[in-house]
Amino acid sequence: MTKAKLIIEKVKKLYGNSSDLQTRIIDVHGTDIGVLFMESSSSSETVSKFIIKSIDYVAKNTNKLSNIYNHLKNNIFNSQLTTVTNFSDFPYYLSSGFTIIIADDVNEAMALETRATLDRGVTESTSEPILRGPKDSFTESNSKNLGLIRKRIKDHNLWFDEVKVGARTKSKVNIAYIKDIADTNCVEAIKQVLEKIDIDGILDGGNLREYMLNKKSVFPQILSTERPDLACQSLLDGKIVILVENSPFVLILPNVFIDFIHTSEDQYQKPFSISFTRILKVIALIITLFTPAIYIAITTFDQTVVPDELLISLAVQREGVPFPTFFEVILLMAIFEILRESDVRSPANMGASMSIVGALILGQAAVDAGIVSPIAVIVIAITSICSLIFTDVDFMNGIRSWRFIFILSATFFGLIGVVATGLMLVLKLSSLDSFGVPFLAPFSPLIHSSQKDAVVRYPLPRIFKRPEYLQNKDKTKQGGHNEK
Amino acid sequence: MKNKIILLLALIFLITGCGNYREINDLAIVTSIAIDKADDGKYELSYLIANSPKSQTSNKEGEATTTIYSGKGETLNEATNVIDRKTPKSLYYGHINVVVISEEIAQEGFLKIADWLLRNPETRKQFYLLQSKEKTAKTILKIVEPLESFPSQSIASLIESNSTFESLTSNIKYSPFVERILSKGFDPTLPAVTVVGSEKKGSTEKNLEKTEPATYLKLNDAAIFIKDKFVGYVGEKDSQAISVLNDNISEFKFSFKYDNHDVVFISNDVNTKTDIKDFNHINIKVKGQGYLSEVNGKIDIEKTKVVKKMEKKLEKETKKAFEKTLKKMQEKYHADVFGFGNKLYGIYPQKWNQIEKKWNRDYFPKLKVNIKTDFQIASSGSLNRTIGEVLK
Repeated sequence: MTKAKLIIEKVKKLYGNSSDLQTRIIDVHGTDIGVLFMESSSSSETVSKFIIKSIDYVAKNTNKLSNIYNHLKNNIFNSQLTTVTNFSDFPYYLSSGFTIIIADDVNEAMALETRATLDRGVTESTSEPILRGPKDSFTESNSKNLGLIRKRIKDHNLWFDEVKVGARTKSKVNIAYIKDIADTNCVEAIKQVLEKIDIDGILDGGNLREYMLNKKSVFPQILSTERPDLACQSLLDGKIVILVENSPFVLILPNVFIDFIHTSEDQYQKPFSISFTRILKVIALIITLFTPAIYIAITTFDQTVVPDELLISLAVQREGVPFPTFFEVILLMAIFEILRESDVRSPANMGASMSIVGALILGQAAVDAGIVSPIAVIVIAITSICSLIFTDVDFMNGIRSWRFIFILSATFFGLIGVVATGLMLVLKLSSLDSFGVPFLAPFSPLIHSSQKDAVVRYPLPRIFKRPEYLQNKDKTKQGGHNEK
Repeated sequence: MKNKIILLLALIFLITGCGNYREINDLAIVTSIAIDKADDGKYELSYLIANSPKSQTSNKEGEATTTIYSGKGETLNEATNVIDRKTPKSLYYGHINVVVISEEIAQEGFLKIADWLLRNPETRKQFYLLQSKEKTAKTILKIVEPLESFPSQSIASLIESNSTFESLTSNIKYSPFVERILSKGFDPTLPAVTVVGSEKKGSTEKNLEKTEPATYLKLNDAAIFIKDKFVGYVGEKDSQAISVLNDNISEFKFSFKYDNHDVVFISNDVNTKTDIKDFNHINIKVKGQGYLSEVNGKIDIEKTKVVKKMEKKLEKETKKAFEKTLKKMQEKYHADVFGFGNKLYGIYPQKWNQIEKKWNRDYFPKLKVNIKTDFQIASSGSLNRTIGEVLK
């Protein structure tokens, strides 16, 4: 039989007498009741108001002969009560903000939820702003994140499967899916991958993502978002959402290429204007991939394809520039990437000075000084603006890598090189898959019914099916009509 | 894997088309070529280089002035080498858009010089070919035009504007011209260009600064060839008639007198059908619909009867004009610019082979061509009546 005092000493030793570990021993009719909680992760107010008070209440209403622990268990003022029988589970509950109550001569303990609110509230999304539609975004709190999804989809078939990942962090990872839509084989596969992970800790969904890829690619095969509405749209499409504790970004999979061109807003605006925007985005994608490469190719190899007057204009503008075109383009691209990176990392109030230096000094002055030609600045400006149209950072970086490959091939082989590399890009993309779903679906393989929400979006009343490239159990989105 | 990458990298540097690599600012972009015959019998070649930046630093606006380099040689290639030695940049022929040949070259026979430009893999074969009239070909290149921001383009844009809006010149590109020479029974024509005004003033930048340019290029005559040899010029009316009879016109403009008043008729829709009967008889039918662009004098054009009468007159006048041109070709030049021989060759190839050599001298001049014209005046422009009519 154990004494409460001894257990408290044991826990203190376990935590190395950490300053935030608070303990209290209350004597109730000769039996010692021990209360343990972490001052840092629990709310002391809740502990005093409800836990200590309940013990006091129980003490007053019982006598020496009754089982104090059982009385306490039945009368404590708390909604979440877990019985802990294993001492090794103590640290997990303590660190998560639970209060543990132990008693003399009892072989189990009670863990009561007394978490402190250590996260910010639900705020507007900063990385994926939209004009029309819900503005809330995920936070660092796991229960809030689950709540943001649960309150949108009230169906009981929305299931959360929890897996704990990380030997030290023990982070909760929730796999959310709608049971009768999503492909459960895929859920099992994800669970297996997660359970196999043996690492000391994960802190963000980004860590998990690297375990789930089976093929190397610079393009992300898993979408990450901080918008709950996008997560819910994906769930309704039959996709699977992975939420990681303490991370405001959730992972969505399986994922296809065209998803990076879509935004959650697409579903709330008029179909015609959204189709137009999506076509613009596809054009922007092509521009941002090819422009610098084509510029290099037509000015150093294939001058013949340029119209007369443009060629003369280009030739005169390049007059007196000391660097080869390739170096000029690489230089400007590097400057832009540095500018973008420093803009992301620097505090907001430094933005003004940076834009002055970036735009005026680097752009204007470099042209005036004859270091770069004006046309090269224009080419890089178009390329950069077009790349900023995509919200997913990983996707943007993927495009950037391929842009460099295109530039290199244009430098060595001209337009032929650009075409050949374009072919390589298509081959690479079509070889990728995300949990069995081809990355280029619904274009390769071509699925006609899924074209209704690919590049163009049909009006919602006319889309009856969920994306067919997902192995969904329930393929219809909208009833009342027979698909012809 | 590592070895493969090293091999690939090595290949990139070893077998790439780096030989074809050239920076755009190291090129001297040749946009026009003039070919003359010098006094000593050598060829004189002149290149118009488009991208010579202004001597000042203002290369920002993309302003370009032109420079002309010339060189002489026994062959065209020799002349090119002379120019190549003079220019600090390497010559680039990919953007040639005009080639001007002088009268002497044309008289000697164009095929003598045709080979060099066609054989060069860098040139696009789609540039305009012109013949300089009275002046040397080099002079034509020198004239700067005030309305064109790229001086190097002035001749090309002059031809283009003329061919779409007037069809006075029988404009033709280089390789179709060579093709025409080589085809059977179809003699080619070339637009002839000449300089009006002092050529000295016209070749300086000052010509651009004046409100009325002292010197300009004029493009309205056509040079008639038999095979590849130049035989003579015809004026703009004949040039237009040739275009009509060849069914190769986009805008037909014709002025005639009706009741002693001047009337101008324009048609954008003229079709010509040539009907080959045999080696002596050919029927041509010209059909067109158009509008009146100018009517001076008191004519009641609201009345259908008057318009019908006008159409009759127009048909008569145009027939006369076409026949005149035809006669000139048959009797004066013996040049089958209408391609009658070519059409006969298509129908009776065996008989054609027997008479091929005698076609231009004996058969073509004796050909009886029956021209029929059918024009309709469909509208009278923005005015329904004439101003003279309202005054009455």
